[in-house]
Amino acid sequence: MSAPAIPYRTFPPRLARLPGWTVLAVWTAAVLLPLYILVVSCFKTTAEIYDNRLGLPQSWAFDNFVRAWTRADLGHNFINSLIVTAGAVILTIVVSAMAAYPLSRYKLGWNAIMLGLFLSGIMLPIRLASVELFTLMRNLGLLDSLTGLILVYSAIRIPFAVFIFANFMRVLPSELDEAARMDGAGEVRILFQIILPMVKPAVSIVAIFTAIAVWNDFFFPLIFIFDDRYKTVPLAISVFVGQFRTDWGLVFASLAISMAPILIMYCLLARQIREGVGAGGGMK
Amino acid sequence: MTNFHRPSSLKRTQQRMAVLFILPALAVYTLFVLYPLAMSLWGSFFIWKGLRMVEFAGLSNFSRLFVFPSGARLYGALWHNTAWFFGIMLFQNGIGLLFAWLLFLRDRRAAFFQSVFFFPAVLSPVIVGALWRLLLAPGGVVEWALNGLGLHQGSLTVLGNSHTALGVLIAVDAWNWMGLPVLIYTAGLRQISGQIFEAAKLDGAGNARMLFSVALPLLMPALGTLTTLSFINTFNQFDIVYVMQGVQGNPSYSTDTLVTYFYRLAFGAEGAVGITDIGLALALGTVLFLILSIGTLLMLRFFDRRTVQL
Repeated sequence: MSAPAIPYRTFPPRLARLPGWTVLAVWTAAVLLPLYILVVSCFKTTAEIYDNRLGLPQSWAFDNFVRAWTRADLGHNFINSLIVTAGAVILTIVVSAMAAYPLSRYKLGWNAIMLGLFLSGIMLPIRLASVELFTLMRNLGLLDSLTGLILVYSAIRIPFAVFIFANFMRVLPSELDEAARMDGAGEVRILFQIILPMVKPAVSIVAIFTAIAVWNDFFFPLIFIFDDRYKTVPLAISVFVGQFRTDWGLVFASLAISMAPILIMYCLLARQIREGVGAGGGMK
Repeated sequence: MTNFHRPSSLKRTQQRMAVLFILPALAVYTLFVLYPLAMSLWGSFFIWKGLRMVEFAGLSNFSRLFVFPSGARLYGALWHNTAWFFGIMLFQNGIGLLFAWLLFLRDRRAAFFQSVFFFPAVLSPVIVGALWRLLLAPGGVVEWALNGLGLHQGSLTVLGNSHTALGVLIAVDAWNWMGLPVLIYTAGLRQISGQIFEAAKLDGAGNARMLFSVALPLLMPALGTLTTLSFINTFNQFDIVYVMQGVQGNPSYSTDTLVTYFYRLAFGAEGAVGITDIGLALALGTVLFLILSIGTLLMLRFFDRRTVQL
């Protein structure tokens, strides 16, 4: 953040700042302690979880992870989630960038109406449409199908993506596409080889927030997926919590596996995520 | 190539290209969002047999929704959602303001705390719910810690107790999303000119006065965004309840929400026999749609009017 040196901040003596630091430290502990317990419990047997609550495990055995991946078949769910997330991210980016390009850079006379139609979708409570959506998916043969999930997620994320792309594309100089047009470049080439590379920050915002939303979603797999072969991670987890109720080590390990991709992404992209959320609250 | 550059021809090409470019996004969005939503609203005025629309029924679904036996479920869920919203406003968006202010005063170290505080927000509510269900279970680590500290004795059953369960779920939700107000408030605070704080300081304002009398009125856009987002999120609440308390909102419906009730009506988990009542579900959907749209519009207007222009 480029906050200027702000002169009004006189720095009080260390002691006066102690309560503030304490408050921040308490919440940091409230966030990190459950996650710490989650991580160490993955390596413990259920008996050990009861005996040794906060300590490190006796041995760093991967037994729970192996059982979660194979016996509970989380590996299968993991691959399904990866396919759905990647598919939805790519489809959302491609069709939203295509729609945002003419809407933000052509003079069509109907730009505003069409943008408004897309933007109205940002706040629509789509869960309420799940009955009709279910009927539609059944008629299209898209129940129990990863393709079906990809299409629904893309549809839900398109409004936000069009909004972000249009905002970024609007401010690019018009000489960019005009010069390319003079050189005989087609509109498809102008969009994908000239405009899109110029709005990389928009691409990463859309990719990050679509990936998080899709990877985490539970509601639509719950409604559309019945066959174990097509279940995604959150749906599988919701079953594990009941099914392996007494096998705590296994459930903790499943939770750790299912949050690993998001955790890795978060560590790599924490700054972009912070700024993206702070700027627009663009989550959910 | 040459006549391609004539303005009128370019315009026609652009109109044609625009339609082609917009069509894929528009088709997916219309088919999977707008169409089902419109059909759901329309369908709430019909009598249903299973998943088939039978005949026009006027408002009869709605009148069934508000009376026995559905009325008790509806008003219960409505109350839980409302309590949830105010709980989140107080514990998440209120305490979040304090955190954001403390971080604003410690600008250089803010990024680390922001990242930590926001981390749970990128996790699935299913994972958050499952994690806290394990931690809060009888024999779990929270019970062990409270017993050890002498704050509680015996088995911890907060999730099985109808007086405490809803409060615990709200706290878990606040834990999940605390980073959101922190990030939005700190972004808002950084946009306020340092001169304003300087002037207040010269007038002898302390830190607390500075936050509530100077910063807060200027944070109205941030507060508006947060209130609206929290409103939409709480009235769509489903995942945490489902994972922690089951789709019935146990114990004895004390954590039932409008969307869990909707889910039971629509997908057959309501009542002893568990049959669907699509007409009732769609009527509930329409009511919820109205609550969300009217509520959101009112909130946007409310905060728009209170935004101080400098």
